[in-house]
Amino acid sequence: MYLLILVLLPMAGGLFAGIAGHRTPKTDVPISLAALGLEWLLCLGLIPQTGKTLDLPDLVGLGLHFQVTGLSVLLCVVAATLWLVSGIADREYLHHDKKTARYHLFLLLTEGAIMGVFVSGDFYTTLVFFEMMSLASYLLVLHNETEEAREAAGSYLAYAVIGGMVTLMGLFLLYNALGTLRFDDLPAAVAAYEGNRSMLYAAGLCTLVGFAAKCCMWPLHTWLPKAHPAAPAPASALLSGIITKGGVFGILALAAKVFVHDVTAGNFLLLFGVITMVWGGFMGLCHTNVKAVLACSTMSQIGFILTGTAMQCLLGEENGIAVWGTLLHMMNHSWFKLVLFVTVGIIAHTTGKLELSDLQGFGRGKKQLFVIFLLPALGIMGIPLFNGYVSKTLIHESIVEYIHHLSHAGMDIGLYKAAEYLFLLSGGMTVGYMVKLIVCLFFEPNHDSAVQAEYDQTKPAASPFLMGLLTACAALCPLLGMTPHFTLERVAAFAQGFFPTQGMEETVAYFSPANLKGGAISIAIGAVLYVVFVRTMVRRRDSTYCSPWPKVLSLEDSFYRPLLMVWLPFVGAVCARLAASLFEWLAKLVNKLLFFRFNPIVTPPENHRFANYDPHPKGRRGNLGTLNFGLTLFGLGYVAVMLYLLVRNVVL
Amino acid sequence: MYNYLIPLAMILPMASGILMGLLRNNSGRNILFAETLAATLLCAVAAACTGSGLTTVADMGVFAFRLGADRVGHLFAILFSALFLGAGVFSLEYNSHDDHQARFNGFFLLTLGAMMGLSYSQNLFTYYFFYECMTLLSMPLVFHEGTEESMKAALKYLGYSLFGAALVLFGFFYAGQYCDTTNFAEGGSFNLAGQAHLPMALIAAFCLMLGFACKAGMVPLHQWLPVAHPVAPAPASAILSACITKAGVLGILRCAYYVFGAEVLRGSWVQTAMTVLALITVFTGSMLAYKERLFKRRLAWSTVSQVSYVLYGLFQFTPAGFGGGLLQAVFHAVSKTALFLCAGAVIHQSGKTQVHELTGMGKRMPVVFGCFAFASLSLVGIPPFAGFVSKWSLATGGLSVYGTLGIVGAAVLLISAILTAGYLFPIIIHGCTEDAEDNTPLEPGLRMLVPLVVLALALLALGIFTAPLSGLTETIASISKEVLP
Repeated sequence: MYLLILVLLPMAGGLFAGIAGHRTPKTDVPISLAALGLEWLLCLGLIPQTGKTLDLPDLVGLGLHFQVTGLSVLLCVVAATLWLVSGIADREYLHHDKKTARYHLFLLLTEGAIMGVFVSGDFYTTLVFFEMMSLASYLLVLHNETEEAREAAGSYLAYAVIGGMVTLMGLFLLYNALGTLRFDDLPAAVAAYEGNRSMLYAAGLCTLVGFAAKCCMWPLHTWLPKAHPAAPAPASALLSGIITKGGVFGILALAAKVFVHDVTAGNFLLLFGVITMVWGGFMGLCHTNVKAVLACSTMSQIGFILTGTAMQCLLGEENGIAVWGTLLHMMNHSWFKLVLFVTVGIIAHTTGKLELSDLQGFGRGKKQLFVIFLLPALGIMGIPLFNGYVSKTLIHESIVEYIHHLSHAGMDIGLYKAAEYLFLLSGGMTVGYMVKLIVCLFFEPNHDSAVQAEYDQTKPAASPFLMGLLTACAALCPLLGMTPHFTLERVAAFAQGFFPTQGMEETVAYFSPANLKGGAISIAIGAVLYVVFVRTMVRRRDSTYCSPWPKVLSLEDSFYRPLLMVWLPFVGAVCARLAASLFEWLAKLVNKLLFFRFNPIVTPPENHRFANYDPHPKGRRGNLGTLNFGLTLFGLGYVAVMLYLLVRNVVL
Repeated sequence: MYNYLIPLAMILPMASGILMGLLRNNSGRNILFAETLAATLLCAVAAACTGSGLTTVADMGVFAFRLGADRVGHLFAILFSALFLGAGVFSLEYNSHDDHQARFNGFFLLTLGAMMGLSYSQNLFTYYFFYECMTLLSMPLVFHEGTEESMKAALKYLGYSLFGAALVLFGFFYAGQYCDTTNFAEGGSFNLAGQAHLPMALIAAFCLMLGFACKAGMVPLHQWLPVAHPVAPAPASAILSACITKAGVLGILRCAYYVFGAEVLRGSWVQTAMTVLALITVFTGSMLAYKERLFKRRLAWSTVSQVSYVLYGLFQFTPAGFGGGLLQAVFHAVSKTALFLCAGAVIHQSGKTQVHELTGMGKRMPVVFGCFAFASLSLVGIPPFAGFVSKWSLATGGLSVYGTLGIVGAAVLLISAILTAGYLFPIIIHGCTEDAEDNTPLEPGLRMLVPLVVLALALLALGIFTAPLSGLTETIASISKEVLP
């Protein structure tokens, strides 16, 4: 029951806020804040409920099944916190917006749906809520209704619908092969599966697609750099911070429940995780729109998480270190992105701009803003003493450990060594693009001195309360990072129950020289990338910023859109028209053959009233010759016959 | 007990339909019209609740005129009368400026009478009789507008229907030879003579089902559908799409499960051929709907596609497929009625018929577009709307029967779902997020809105609380269970 309330409360609150805000403007804000606050309390109340399940077999066809695991509690609490903070923030951004009622409606619907995803106990329930979440969040991307937002939202919707359908296909196949979709029963069902194993891989791959599209795994990431700049900042924070985690949740469920310790699945995931990580980092270096940089950063960090998930598969039973790394990086990343996006939102709200060249020098002398931005930035870069360092170190260590295992077994380690180097390289890219943002926003003076003078005068358009809240959120990054054994590790140990793992045997010495070396290498690579790449390629001589990445190479515009909008519909339509008109042609042919050199025997009368009705019939019998009259007579006769038969039957 | 309820449900609309032409008072006639529709629904529900049955009504030489009701009959009777009620109430406002409202109302009711007869038919002869009645009586609905185009469309409708009916008749003669009785019996009554002439019996079954599939709009006999639906007035298109196509479905269902029996057809070439045709139709309909620019014709192509989902389920000849097919039949009927009524509301209020003209309309008629969105989500199969549930059972049912063809089937269903999203969502998106040149509100009156809202909410409710309905369809479908290997 508690779980049902957890899911339905935000939805009900959203409906209520939407209707109220539609009737009387502004009433939706307090209602939605109240709902968000209540939901946050409910999520905290979920902690002692760990292990509970809820079965609703009568709902939505196959029935819904909920289950509270450590992972669900962790994700629910993170989600509710993010929603609450972004709800507080959007109260200030959307001040002059007339469509807040709609925004709040879909904001809360999305929250309810994502809670449903996180507490789901089988793939069917996951999919039901995942689809709801995808569609509800579509309206958040679209919210501004600019041309840009429309295009981005279009991509987002296409990914959501197509991805969702492919996942549905995967679930059909899984359900058909295994007979169950429950997380608890799946490992046993897979172990007992005797059919062709490639069938399972095909099913898993299909299931993966929808989730991968949501968490922007390469090559299904192209919606992301478009959607974030177009959406309102609080919505971007949610998209980036937690809605992507809805996709990750699905992948985690696949990796931990279906492909338990499966090497093939692990290698596949590792490959795509590494590509995502590197590609996201590289695009982050190239982009010059602040929100797009953060979006690419999200992609890259999801790549880290996927790598962790892959190592969790590869390491077998002793995968505690990878599990912890994955869990902590998910949590940390949500946190960074919340603070970063909301801060960028404040900047964008103050200036109305998002391009680096325009925003250059905005933060000079704004100390509080600088601190708020710097702390999570340092965290995401993986600087020691910040929480990002801990999770990245854990994932890195898991790769190192696997290489260690393999070399002991005398197997080839070349590819995994490459993965490790690429991991460090991506860490360096993270440093590179974050330094780019910090230097541009807070250190360099604007290339136009008039603008700089104006920026020096303006204050960030945010209430002291919001600034204080953000400072507190940002301060959490070093706090957690300095006390990993007391905070982060406990969280990870609490949440690891979802995975097939023995947990950690020994604690990691995060600040040992070996681990610090990994961090140092990344920072060094980052410094080199910044100096060599950003300062020469991205930043122009006249100190403006311009992306060196040619637009022609955009995967979406040059390949996906033409493929889906032009080529496939063309081929499909040709086939469909052929199939649809074969019989017509046949009929015409027969007609021609039958009446070859003969006049048709039956000619429809030329009388225009044959099937027509004259609204003002001429003469008393004007309508008698029409088909209408004939049919009416037919109906009368038919009713008379029926009446006779029925009456006779009843009487006799 | 209560045996009069079933005849009453048929006689009421027919008698009242005849009266429509005689009444001169507009408002009185409209009240009678609405009351008749409501009374018919009540009769159908009451008949279902009391479980009333009635068997042979009259023997006419070789043929017996049998009426009665089993669960399938009750289900379809309630479905038909409920949708007629919705569309009928809608038509009162839609046709309020029409010179020929009486004629429309009259044939509308007569068609309903025929459809109630179809639901309550208990043998193939009675079914065939009402089937032809329905064709002829619904034809005036198609050419109601009286334009050149609508007359051509009506003749096409008639031509295809008669061709289909001829195929049915052919199959009917042979069915009488190869089955003990053409009465509808659970599990069918295939006999020894049929066993001896199995190839011929299969051809007969194929013709029977192909003939009925003409009404259900299956390739290759689907061409009447995209022609006839757009020219009819919106409430009539809704009925054509939602109910009359289901008469074909009901016919196939009766032949396959109640005359020949599922075990005869399972694994035969008939199954493969019909399934392949159904899948081709599913794809073709969606693809052409995606390419179509006329609003109502787009919806008509969508019907072509969606009704073949039902057929894909029925042709699996298993309880799962049968149950899924029935669910899809109900859900499609409700959502397609809602969609056509929305199209009708737009046409009535603004006169816009092309898809690209609908930009910004959602802001002018938000309730109508809200209902349109609900119905679209259901048709695409987005949870928790109703369409998702039926799609799930159809696809998993297919996978458990066919092997490779099942995988192809599931893939085709999903590609078609993507296309469905592709042809419905842009209407909502452009309608609701872009600004029109003119922003005056255009929301129609209550007689249009109430049926729409009820249908839209029904889709959500049916999607979430599926258990009662799916329980019923499972019970119905269990007749083919015993013979499963």
